[in-house]
Amino acid sequence: VNVRIVGHAWRVPREIVVNPFSASYRLARVAALTQPPARSRNERFLRRMGLYGMEVAHEAFAAAKLAAGPRYGMFVGVGGLRAHWDDMLAALADQDAAGTDAWERGLENVHPYWMLRHLSNNVHALASAELGLRGEGATFGGADGGLHAIRSAARALADGAVDAALVVAYDSLLEPETLVELGERMPADFVPGEAAAAIVLLPDAGRTLALAPLNRITPIMGQLGAATAVVQAILEIS
Amino acid sequence: MTAVITGVGVVSAFGAGAPAFFGALAEGRCGVGPIRWFDASTFPVRVAGEVPASPAIPAAAHRDRKASVALAAAREARASASDSTPDAALVIALGLEHAFLEDFAPARSAVEVTPRFRARVDTAADIVMRELGLRGPRVVHVSACAAGALAVAHAAAMVVRGQCDVVVCGGADSMVNPLGLGGMSRLGAPSPRDTADACRPFDRARDGLVIGEGAAMFVVEHEARAQARGARVLARIAGWGSTQDAYRATAPRPDGAAASAAMQRALVRAGLSPSDIGYINAHGTGTPLNDPAECKAIHAALGPHGARVAVSSIKGAVGHLMAASGAIELAACLLAFERDLLPGTANHHDRDPECDVDVIGPTPRRARVDHVLSNSFGFGGQNASVILGRPQ
Repeated sequence: VNVRIVGHAWRVPREIVVNPFSASYRLARVAALTQPPARSRNERFLRRMGLYGMEVAHEAFAAAKLAAGPRYGMFVGVGGLRAHWDDMLAALADQDAAGTDAWERGLENVHPYWMLRHLSNNVHALASAELGLRGEGATFGGADGGLHAIRSAARALADGAVDAALVVAYDSLLEPETLVELGERMPADFVPGEAAAAIVLLPDAGRTLALAPLNRITPIMGQLGAATAVVQAILEIS
Repeated sequence: MTAVITGVGVVSAFGAGAPAFFGALAEGRCGVGPIRWFDASTFPVRVAGEVPASPAIPAAAHRDRKASVALAAAREARASASDSTPDAALVIALGLEHAFLEDFAPARSAVEVTPRFRARVDTAADIVMRELGLRGPRVVHVSACAAGALAVAHAAAMVVRGQCDVVVCGGADSMVNPLGLGGMSRLGAPSPRDTADACRPFDRARDGLVIGEGAAMFVVEHEARAQARGARVLARIAGWGSTQDAYRATAPRPDGAAASAAMQRALVRAGLSPSDIGYINAHGTGTPLNDPAECKAIHAALGPHGARVAVSSIKGAVGHLMAASGAIELAACLLAFERDLLPGTANHHDRDPECDVDVIGPTPRRARVDHVLSNSFGFGGQNASVILGRPQ
């Protein structure tokens, strides 16, 4: 991967702490982002981690000092839940198991943007529009999403398909549903974390992108899911 | 170095199996109808491209309808390719899917919901890997309605670069469930019509999409490998391109400029000129905004040939399969090579003057073409175009 990082930004946990809520699900320690994301008009479309994703995308791109361009690509890795139910509970509370009259029992009151808030490529859509990135791009899902985003960005740069690439990844293992799931199948010393990170890549035949070893992350930040690879890349140059 | 398709599997409103899909498209049938598997009678939208029950579809594998249709399609694809390499990679496009209302109703806190609803975005991919016994790399595309096309392009790139010998790829999605239907209805995307002809791509009377569900999966491998093992090649994956509108989250760029750029990039990668394209399988959602923008993009990308190339959309026939739409539409393109037939546009009768391209009506058109291009445009302006070539 012959690229160099010309801009980066992240939101990563600063420490691992004992957490009573997660402890009730067998995972005593967590690594959380404590500073909430800034208020944004994108709250219509994005949940908390997506807002962090937007912040790091803007900061990394600004640090790279590049103008917007038709040949700038964007590649995103996202983890997290397939869907969130906390903002659906009012629509679900009166449903019956057979689904009878589901519309009148609450679905008619679902927020019109509920569906949009669950699309995995929200950050891709919003950040590419706000930053004017019109080149190649894709969004990858899962714990390896950030790694695939880096690989695809590097491939696009190597092919000459894009002149620069913004890579963004974010994930949280701290949502209640995830904690329940992890508590059931992971060892008690597993430390769920969360992070958002972004890098801007340019082609550079003389450099090879390296990722810092995981043991530089997990003792401080816990497990970062889809954000891991991008955090590793930033750590390596920090 | 060319990646080729040697196997295909399809689950659609026409049932399980690629033959059922190709047969229905060849006959110009429409698979959209009243929703049957849950009571949609009180919803504002009551029709969809619903997959009928079939013994070939695992009964709600792991209570995940996406995984069920993906498994059925992937098994068919591997069987049709006569390839069961365990080291194959999986590159799959997955969407949201919210099914099984009984799993969380009534639910009063997020942690009350059953384990299925704690699923992460890529859970269905893990199910498919495990059930198929795949040991190769795994990539999950979640770029909304562009994801299926991007997954196939990604698979082709992996093969061409020598990263994998063979890739099982495609897309699977289902929104035909109470939450999917409810959420989409509140968003205002579906046509308000309550009839099977609700989705009318490029038609003057178009007023929205119809929700569909299903999967299309392919076996993609290097051409030399296919030749060496005597596999029948269904198509060459000649080129692909992607762009971003960088316009708005909720609407396509009206001038189609970025969509046009995706098509042009695919042409460049394929080493083709516009006149080499004999057919375009359009994204063609049947929504007021998409179709004219796509036509502008076709004209911009293909120049004078844009007015001559045959264009159709299968979304009137099978609905909008969301993350799987790009995959099933590439499968539809195989009809051009298999039977010298270009799929029709179900429910298209009165072309909108704003959609000034050669739209194939409901009846498929007989033609021999060497290259076809399929467009997929996702929410938020993610555009993908893939070009398939006739097997040599």
